[in-house]
Amino acid sequence: MDLEDFKPIISDCIAGNQKAMAKLYRQFAPKMFGVCLRYAKDATEAEDNLQDGFIKVFNNLKSFRNDGSLEGWIRRIMINVSLEKIRKQHLMYPVEDVAIYDSVNYSDDVIAKISADDLMKLIQQLPPRYQLVFNLYVIEGMSHQEIATEMSITQGTSKSNLARARDILKKKVHENFGEINAKNNYTA
Amino acid sequence: MKKDKNLDELFRDKLLNYEQEPPAYLLDNILSGVAGARRKRKLIFWRMAGVAAALLLAFVAGWQLNIRDGLEMNPTVVVRKNLAPEVQSETKNQIEKKTPTNETSTAMSQLATLESSSAIGTNQSKPIARSSESETIALAGEPVPVATNSESLLLKPLKSLYRRIRSEDGDSNTLQTRKTSKNSFDLAEKSIDQQIMEQNKQMLAVENKSKEKVRWLVGAQVSPEYSNSRGSQSQVYASNMLNPSSNSVDLGGGISVEYKKGKRWSLQSGVYYSGLGQSSGNSSNSSSKDLQYAISGSNYFNTVVNMDASTNKMSLNSNAGVIELNKIPSGMVLGTSLEDKTLTSSVIVSQTNFVQNFQYIEIPLYLRYTLIDSRFDVVVLGGFSSNVLVGNQIFVEDGSGKSLVGKTKDMESLNYSGTLGLGFKYGLSKRIFLNVEPRMKYYLNSLNSNSSVTYKPYTFGVFTGLSYEF
Repeated sequence: MDLEDFKPIISDCIAGNQKAMAKLYRQFAPKMFGVCLRYAKDATEAEDNLQDGFIKVFNNLKSFRNDGSLEGWIRRIMINVSLEKIRKQHLMYPVEDVAIYDSVNYSDDVIAKISADDLMKLIQQLPPRYQLVFNLYVIEGMSHQEIATEMSITQGTSKSNLARARDILKKKVHENFGEINAKNNYTA
Repeated sequence: MKKDKNLDELFRDKLLNYEQEPPAYLLDNILSGVAGARRKRKLIFWRMAGVAAALLLAFVAGWQLNIRDGLEMNPTVVVRKNLAPEVQSETKNQIEKKTPTNETSTAMSQLATLESSSAIGTNQSKPIARSSESETIALAGEPVPVATNSESLLLKPLKSLYRRIRSEDGDSNTLQTRKTSKNSFDLAEKSIDQQIMEQNKQMLAVENKSKEKVRWLVGAQVSPEYSNSRGSQSQVYASNMLNPSSNSVDLGGGISVEYKKGKRWSLQSGVYYSGLGQSSGNSSNSSSKDLQYAISGSNYFNTVVNMDASTNKMSLNSNAGVIELNKIPSGMVLGTSLEDKTLTSSVIVSQTNFVQNFQYIEIPLYLRYTLIDSRFDVVVLGGFSSNVLVGNQIFVEDGSGKSLVGKTKDMESLNYSGTLGLGFKYGLSKRIFLNVEPRMKYYLNSLNSNSSVTYKPYTFGVFTGLSYEF
């Protein structure tokens, strides 16, 4: 569906038509739930964020200009709601950690064989700040400067947090899935 | 580094478009949440509208009640005088007789007796029987002129007293039950003087309580008012417009009436006079300058003046509207623009200042909230006013002095303004207060109806005055 197809649905949603709202929700909910899961610590928190995000979407549809991507606009709202929730729940201490971790050896094949659900769980286990930076940089494709502005931190902190997040993920991959490779090799 | 990129890509590929079906109940929650938010918005709107309507209604009702009470109180004095001799004689008879009829009269008439006796005379024991009669008649609905005159005075306390006694004696709902009950019997056994004293005490308490609840304040205030121009003009209009050089300070003030219910909230209205003024001089825009007059230097007045040959009236643009001069000031030197072939356009060569003055009668409706309620009160206030234009003059100031020359065209006769302010009230005595209230007033609509001009000035004043509470 392109934007033209959504225009009548958007108009109906603005008018308060609940059927139209349900239609719009069903169209985007699975993908947006995926977004919320990435920024949450568990599924319950992601459900809360998805609910708050869609209420915000329907209450603010009037302000959506029909010249951009509706999915992008909704995604941005979901990310903002998730960020806001994390800001409220966690004190964002400016941790300038430059701890050096032992290099963990792993094969890209290991990650390639890990399911998306398991990768999601790994991300959810990251400390909130590292989880945020990793999501914004790696998945959303934001620059460190943009992340620094968004999170009111320095670019250096953003880079440091990203490095730390990567290290933790590598370590967890090694701990939880390191055997896959060996097992596969063994069986192969 | 490359390893990190690979890691990032692997995560991105698998999670960027990751989808998972959320639980079904979420949709219901979302729809009810959206509906709730919409209801809340509507509710806030209706609540605000309701509060505004209730405030207006309360204000009008309070005003009307006050007027009616004032009208009814005067004839009561006359009635009191007429009643006194009759009361004395009849009461005397009844006290002497002490007939059973008096004892078996209804509790209502006893109460009426007590109430009217307290209202009527200084000798409290005497007027009982007469008042009892008049009240009984009045309650029966018979049109007795004397009773009608005193009705408002007598019925109001009687009714409130009756309600109070009913609430105290929940089991005996009817007057008949009350009459036959033991309590009633005991009451009848008491001396009349004791009953009167008790009832008077209760009445006094009720009156005091009601006085605490509703109060009126009247006052007078004056203030220097500093006005500041705010507005916009169309580009064509502004290209030939006087340059507003200064805003004048005018004197404002008036009489205020405040209706106070409870300790915190009150409504204020009244009649105020307010003035607006500004002075305009040479335009800063040089695009309309005729080169032939450029040599006049600082005296050169470059705003185009339109001349109407038939009426001999001059007009020129100001930020508040088109200035129309009925006559050419004696000290003004005009030059015909050679660039204008119709000879309807001129320029003023002499240095001239145009002073525009507007006077308004303001009828405000302010809502006041007392933040600090003590000897030194702090109040916030806000509200709206209707402003009726009562004065519109233009004076010209030049080398020869100041003279009235015309008015500003297209001024609206009725305007609306909003006011925000802070009040400080100091009690000089129990009833007299000194008020100091800085207020900012802004006009909600353009004061000029000319479509090329939007003129919405705002004023700032410190209103100082006295108020009397009753």
